[in-house]
Amino acid sequence: MNTGTRRRFLATSLAALLAGTAGAVLYPLLRYLAPRRTDTAQQAVRIPLAEIPDGTAKFFDFEGKPAVLVSSKGKLACLSAVCTHLGCIVQWQKDREEFRCPCHGGRFAIDGTVVSGPPPRPLARLPFTVANGSVTVG
Amino acid sequence: MNPLQKLHTWIDVRIGIDALLKKELTGYLLPRNINAWYSLGSILLVLFSIQVLTGILLLVYYVPDAEKAFQSVTFIMNQVPFGWLFRTCHAVGSNLMILALFGHLLSVLFMGSYKSPREFNWLSGFVLFNLVMGISLTGYLLPWSQLSFWATTVATNSVGVVPVIGEQLVEFLRGAKSVGPPTLSRFFVLHVVVIPATIAGMIGLHLFLLKRTGVSLPPFGLSDTRNAWRGEQYRYEDHPDGIPFFPNFALRDLSSILLYLALFGTVVFFLPNLFFPAQAFVPADPFQTPDRIKPEWYFLPNYQTLRILPSELLGLAVQGAAMTFLALLPFIDRGTERHPLKRPLFLTCCICGILTFVGLMIWGHYS
Repeated sequence: MNTGTRRRFLATSLAALLAGTAGAVLYPLLRYLAPRRTDTAQQAVRIPLAEIPDGTAKFFDFEGKPAVLVSSKGKLACLSAVCTHLGCIVQWQKDREEFRCPCHGGRFAIDGTVVSGPPPRPLARLPFTVANGSVTVG
Repeated sequence: MNPLQKLHTWIDVRIGIDALLKKELTGYLLPRNINAWYSLGSILLVLFSIQVLTGILLLVYYVPDAEKAFQSVTFIMNQVPFGWLFRTCHAVGSNLMILALFGHLLSVLFMGSYKSPREFNWLSGFVLFNLVMGISLTGYLLPWSQLSFWATTVATNSVGVVPVIGEQLVEFLRGAKSVGPPTLSRFFVLHVVVIPATIAGMIGLHLFLLKRTGVSLPPFGLSDTRNAWRGEQYRYEDHPDGIPFFPNFALRDLSSILLYLALFGTVVFFLPNLFFPAQAFVPADPFQTPDRIKPEWYFLPNYQTLRILPSELLGLAVQGAAMTFLALLPFIDRGTERHPLKRPLFLTCCICGILTFVGLMIWGHYS
């Protein structure tokens, strides 16, 4: 084996060793810091109808994100409460019967559609059913 | 010229990186007879870095609240992926750091490297030694286990023997009459902010002093082993016929570091509970003192001294005197000879001191 080949072999071995060591350090580090998986996915949320009188909104956590159930003029709507502009949480305006984002003034109708302001998309609609005096979301 | 070389030139013409590297690496000459003991400083730097990194990682999940601290540590150990690894590394690292510190201190003692003009190096090292003891003590409470709670109770209690202000001192240390949530807050701040920042500053000073005085010549393999410094004027101790730091000593340094890390890995992976007795896995109960509660191994000599002497005040005074003597050693030992075998009185005192320390440690452990 000549000097050039030996040097190249040693350099490659050293690089492989360093890469292996870096991997052995980085893998646990990334696993340690990675967000933990929660088992909230696909978990239904049950809310008694008595908790949402006409004209009011109830905010709750659904699959790890804020959601809102609103009742107005006998109609129910369940939406994601996260504004589609920059992720702030919308507020229910009882007098106007619409949602308003406090960050940049985006306005959404009760069905989630954009009324005005910067939001690019409507609020996401969440599936729900009404049975036995309560609403089941999800 | 490839892009990497271009980048190198771009940086070099601005900050003179080549000249700096040449001066500090290949042009930095060390004594030819330098030995492995000189690597303990580098080992300590690596261990301190590991402690900082693992400490930051533990802070991601640790909750410094008496109600939640134990739970959060249990969560790190049992639920968080590789949490056990980082927590064990942190706990083992602190113990091995103290072991390396003892080694560094003893090597400086035996080779007479504390002698003039290195009094400041010795003093800054002595302060660092005490700071590491302090950071270990404050970190010990944070898991809020029976072991940490009662070991801290015993350790803080010993300050109470100081005449006149003893009780006030204990209360000030604990932030309350007895160890409780205020103690955890205080120790947490000391452990993660105050002491690490001070240690980092002191390490900087220690290295600065090393750069100003130069590396000491080991007193082995030489005909004249007396201290050549006369004290007329400032003189950097250079070694013109020495070996370059890079690659010669850097590789030896690396070997020593890897050897120490092998020991570290052995404890972490094969003896993970070496520093965790059963009481470390039980949450703190302020109304239930466990039997035979003991401090960590490095505090056992202090603990045993307090127990065997007729009064705690005497025990504290003896320890204070011993530490003061150690701190002022370069000013007390003014002899020029540096070879340990040519300093019989020093060698006898030193060996007796080590045997007493180890003896008290073993006695404290089994008593």
